[in-house]
Amino acid sequence: MATEGVVTNAERLVTLRVAGVVQQPSLHASVDPEGSVQSLPGMGGVLIRPNLGDPANGWMSDHLEIGASLVHPDPAADEALQSLSCVGNAATIVDGPASGATGIIVGKHGSTMVAFAPDVLARLAPGERVVIDAVGVGLRVEGETHVVLHSCSPWALGFMVPGRDGSGRLRVRVVTTLPAEAAGAGIGMPADRYNIDLQVDHLPASSGARRLRFGDLVALEDQDHRFVRRPRQGWTAVGAICHGRSVGGGHGLGMITLLTAPTERLALKVTQGANIVALVESRERDDSAS
Amino acid sequence: MTRPRDNRDRIVSVSVAGRIADARRHPEPVLPGDDGEISFLPGAGGVVLGVHAGDPVDRWVGDHLMPGAGIEDAEAGPADPGSLHLLACIGNPVRDGRAAFLGVVSGKRGGLAPGAFAPNLVSVEASEDRLRELVPGDRVVLEAEGRGLGLVDHPGVALSNSSPRLLDALPLEERDRGLHVSVRTVVPSRFAGPGLGQDAWIGDLEILSDGAADPRPDDLRFGDLVAFEDVDSAHGRFYRPGFVSVGIVSHGPSRSAGHGPGVTIVLSGPAHDVTCEVSPDAATGALLRAWAEDG
Repeated sequence: MATEGVVTNAERLVTLRVAGVVQQPSLHASVDPEGSVQSLPGMGGVLIRPNLGDPANGWMSDHLEIGASLVHPDPAADEALQSLSCVGNAATIVDGPASGATGIIVGKHGSTMVAFAPDVLARLAPGERVVIDAVGVGLRVEGETHVVLHSCSPWALGFMVPGRDGSGRLRVRVVTTLPAEAAGAGIGMPADRYNIDLQVDHLPASSGARRLRFGDLVALEDQDHRFVRRPRQGWTAVGAICHGRSVGGGHGLGMITLLTAPTERLALKVTQGANIVALVESRERDDSAS
Repeated sequence: MTRPRDNRDRIVSVSVAGRIADARRHPEPVLPGDDGEISFLPGAGGVVLGVHAGDPVDRWVGDHLMPGAGIEDAEAGPADPGSLHLLACIGNPVRDGRAAFLGVVSGKRGGLAPGAFAPNLVSVEASEDRLRELVPGDRVVLEAEGRGLGLVDHPGVALSNSSPRLLDALPLEERDRGLHVSVRTVVPSRFAGPGLGQDAWIGDLEILSDGAADPRPDDLRFGDLVAFEDVDSAHGRFYRPGFVSVGIVSHGPSRSAGHGPGVTIVLSGPAHDVTCEVSPDAATGALLRAWAEDG
């Protein structure tokens, strides 16, 4: 995707093929804010419904992970899979009946999440391997020393940041902006891995979160995610919704961090189309054209 | 001063086997500070000499430093709290492998993500002489008492990590049909950091700064009482307008971005039932130290 006025170092980034295995679903008991225990599906496995672009709220689930959840049995390799995978990277199934089908990286949680088309998800199963062409770690916007990107492929950056406004600020597409009160579990964790849970059960965050969809780009106010996720006045973090609500308090919609910057460097452009499902659709168009 | 009525006559006391935790450098990468700089400082496990309940948390060069001896469950791995952590209450006695009194529980640290991150530690306040005898790996036995403790006239108020002995010592009184508790400071919820989304019985909730403001007093000490506004800790710790969570400072600050001093929650409830009054004397450090010295 061409990006007017935004020069990056993308041509100097390396592409590394890293492997992961589709994880078996896990089920655990979670305690809700009133003290009731619930065990609901969500983490691991291959999620057939819902998919990227569907409403993120309302499912009977806990931390529902979009698409296929990848891990690696070797902890060091799993850490590399988490750190090197970037939203928008191409992922190819190399085992089983869906072998050869491609999808894209869309999120991180305990696992690394890949979105596939429904007919691919219907043939994919835990235990099968997926290989990722990982590119994006080290990506910078030239001249923007305080803008830091994480888990962001050049391709995802091109969609999220379509250019600059008249004052030279980066235009960033988001569906909504959420206040600092939304920041929950994930504070204090490394910003290039996992995600931050958005506590959206109460006002003021609940109104902006009600209509969110999986893959929506969201801005979180007063957060600095350069190194570790932390509150900081005057900074903004932008990311994509990659997992669903939770039973337990302090957890909620998961947002994978893609960009953080001083708020004054950004011109947020609120638009309903700010969803990374656009990356999947453009890849499918590219595939059918070739 | 009227103290709230509780159900301590129904609370059991149970022995739990533990061990003195090794000092560890965890396999997870050390987190960078705001400048991106990485530092490795003492704080995770081991026996900390010369640091005690009541000491200022900023006096020492450490990372999530806890006073005294760090203990953990005898069987659970470092990323797993185990029953020792889940049953321990502040003020509980801890004895050594020969059944000699060692000290009292003074706080907890841990719970960054459920089951995923080490360490999960319980600190034991003990005399300096006793601390010098301890070796990581030594067997200890916790006499756990306090899980199930509640205030009979305040069913909406949850107690956690609090022994009956600690409850008696808290600056807490029943007045005008409500609870009044003294705290050093009331922290707005936007400064509540790691520990959100975790069980109130695991670890602590950390106090952050947001770059522009730091809500904690300059002379914050281990054992001080601190309240978090708009945080409920009855079932998990999370943002909930109209609730308040009160705890005891259990570990020191960190140079890692997004981390700060930790508060082990002892009481949580609706703000209409729990009134926090700021007082410079709202502290348990001297008392915990005296309990450890006196046995």
